[in-house]
Amino acid sequence: MTAVDLPRRRSTARNGWYWAVIAPPILLGALVAGTALGETPIPWEIVVQVLCNKLLGTEYPVDRIDAGIIWNYRLARAVVAASCGAGLALSGVVLQALLRNALADPYLLGISAGASTGAVAVAVIGLGGGVISMSAGAFIGAMCAFGFVALLAHVAGGGTGLRAAGVIILAGIAGSQLFNALTAFLIAKSANAEQARGIMFWLLGNLSGVRWSDTVSVVPAALLGIVACLANARALDAFTFGADSAASLGISVKRTQFSLIGVAALVTAVMVSITGSIGFVGLVIPHAMRMIVGTRHRALVPASALAGAVFLIAADVLSRVILPGQVLPIGVVTALIGAPVFAVILIARKANT
Amino acid sequence: MILSCENLGWSVKNKAIVSNVSLQVETGEMLGLIGPNGSGKSTLLRMLAGVRAPASGTVKLADSPMSSLRQRDIACKLALVEQHADTEDRITVRDAVELGRTPFLSALRPWQGEDDQIVNRALDAVDLRGFGDRIWNTLSGGERQRVQIARALAQQPEILLLDEPTNHLDIRHQLAILHLVRGLPITSVIALHDLNQALMCDRICVLQDGQIVALGAPSEILTVQRLRNTFGVCGHFITDPYDGTPVIRFHSAHKES
Ligand SMILES: Nc1ncnc2c1ncn2[C@@H]1O[C@H](COP(=O)(O)OP(=O)(O)O)[C@@H](O)[C@H]1O
Ligand SMILES: [Mg+2]
Repeated sequence: MTAVDLPRRRSTARNGWYWAVIAPPILLGALVAGTALGETPIPWEIVVQVLCNKLLGTEYPVDRIDAGIIWNYRLARAVVAASCGAGLALSGVVLQALLRNALADPYLLGISAGASTGAVAVAVIGLGGGVISMSAGAFIGAMCAFGFVALLAHVAGGGTGLRAAGVIILAGIAGSQLFNALTAFLIAKSANAEQARGIMFWLLGNLSGVRWSDTVSVVPAALLGIVACLANARALDAFTFGADSAASLGISVKRTQFSLIGVAALVTAVMVSITGSIGFVGLVIPHAMRMIVGTRHRALVPASALAGAVFLIAADVLSRVILPGQVLPIGVVTALIGAPVFAVILIARKANT
Repeated sequence: MILSCENLGWSVKNKAIVSNVSLQVETGEMLGLIGPNGSGKSTLLRMLAGVRAPASGTVKLADSPMSSLRQRDIACKLALVEQHADTEDRITVRDAVELGRTPFLSALRPWQGEDDQIVNRALDAVDLRGFGDRIWNTLSGGERQRVQIARALAQQPEILLLDEPTNHLDIRHQLAILHLVRGLPITSVIALHDLNQALMCDRICVLQDGQIVALGAPSEILTVQRLRNTFGVCGHFITDPYDGTPVIRFHSAHKES
C-alpha cells in the first residue's frame, strides 16, 4: 500500500529533527577538514585539540604558531566560507521559488554589480575619506543597486504572477548593466594597473584577508537567511504553480515577495561585501538539492544551506592547494566546478522526464 | 447568499475586459459561466477568488468585502482551479495536492494524519489513487488538470471556482468531474465551453465582451437566438429519447449576411 507508507518514508527528510540531528556533525566535520587541509596540511588531531583548548578550555600542549594559524587564519576563513555558502544558496532558493525562474541567482538583483561599484569607489576613488572600509563601501553599493532595481521594478511593474517576476528580472539586468558600466568607468578613469588587478581579484570572490572580525556580519546574515526561509517554507512551496496560485492558497503574495526578496538581497549584500561575488553557488546548489531531496522547502532549505556551506569550504580548500605557492580566487574554483555540474544537472533533468 | 459581486470592473490600458458585473451566487448552487473566448470568464473568476483586485466594484464573501479579509481566511473558504496552472518544478502529484492544505497549517497547527486522509480522499475523488509518486512533468494534460482539482478539493472549500476544468479531459473524466462537482454539498462556479455540459448547471451566466448578457435557468437562457447572437453558431434543441432531456445540436458557424 504505497498510499499509506509513502508519507512516512518521505517525512524523514522533511522532518525538522532530521536536519537538526545531521546538520551539526556534518558542518563541524567540514569545518575541521577545511581547517586541517591546506598547502601545509595540519593533522586533524591538532586541529581538534586547538578547538578544544579554545572552546572547552582544555589544555592540550600544541605549538603556538600552529594554534595561531588554525584559530586565527584557517578556522575564521572556514566559518566565513560556510556562512557565505549557506547564505548564497538560500538566496538562490528564495529567488528561484518566488520569481519562478530556474536561472535566478543571488546576483540577479544587481547586488554584485552594485557591490563592485561601491568597493571600487572606496578603493580607487577614495570615497568616504578612508573612514569606511572597502567592505562597507561594497555593502552600501549593493544596497543602492538593489534599491534602484526594486524601484525600477516597482515603477515598471504592476500585476502579479509571471509578469511581475519578468519585470524584476529585466530590472535586475538593467541595474547590473548600469552599475557594471559605472565600475568600468571608475576603473578606466582613476585606477592604476596594480589597483585594477586588486579589484579584479576581489570581484572574482576571495577569502584571503578574512579574519574573525568578519564573522560578526556573515554569521548573523546566514542565520537570518535560514530562519526566514524555514519560517516561510510553506509560503515558498505555495508559489510552485505561480503567484496567482499562491494567492489562492492563502499567501499574501506581495508581502511574502517583498520581505523574502528583501532578506535575500540583504544576505547576499553582506556576503558580497566580505568575500566579493562568488558565483554559481546560488545557482547550482539549489538545483542539485532539488534533485536529491525534492522540491518541498521543508527539506530543500536545510539541505541547500548545508550543501552550500560544505561546498564553499571545499572550494576554499581547493583554491589554496590547486596552484602550489599561489591562491586562486575562490570564485574561479566555484565556477570551474559549478558550470560543469550545472550542465550535468540540466542533462539529468531531461533524462528523467 | 455566500458569494456576490457588485459593479465589478477590470481593464487593461483603457480597454474594459470586465465591466459592470453584478452577480449573486446562491448557497449550494452550481453556476455555469459561459461565453466565447476572451469574453472575460477567467478574469471574472480571478476577481471572485480574491486573487486579482478588481479595478472597480466589490466582491463579498459571506457578506464581508473580500478586500477586508485576510488572504488565508479566503483560502479556507474558497478554492480556485485555474485554467492554465503549470510549473517547471519536478513536484510529485502528492506534494502538489498537499499544497491544498496550506491555508490551514501554521506553526501551531502542523501537518497531521488527518491531512494525509484529506489528501488521500482528494486523490481518490479525481481517480488519481496510485499516482502519488508521479512527477508533474510526466503527466498528461488531463492528469494535470485532475491534480489541480484534487488540490482544490484538499482545501475542503465551501465555494469552488473552476476555470474550464474539463478542457483537457477525456469524455469519461469530463463527466466524472462534472458529476463530482454536482454531487459536492458546496457552492460552485464553473466556466465551461461545452454548452451541453452547461445544461447540467442550476443556473447559467452568459458573458459577452466582459458583460453579463443573460443569467438564469439553462432552459430559459440557452435559446436558438442566444446561440446565434453570443456564440455565433446555428444550433437546435432536440430531445434525448433516453431520458427526455434537451440536447443542443450544432449545425454550422453562423455567417453574418
Ligand atoms: N493581463 C492582461 N493584459 C492584457 N489583456 C488581458 C489580460 N488579461 C486578460 N486580457 C484580455 O482580456 C480578455 C478576456 O480574457 P479572459 O478573462 O481570459 O477571457 P476568457 O477566459 O473568457 O477566455 C481577452 O481578450 C484577453 O486577451
Ligand atoms: Mg479563460
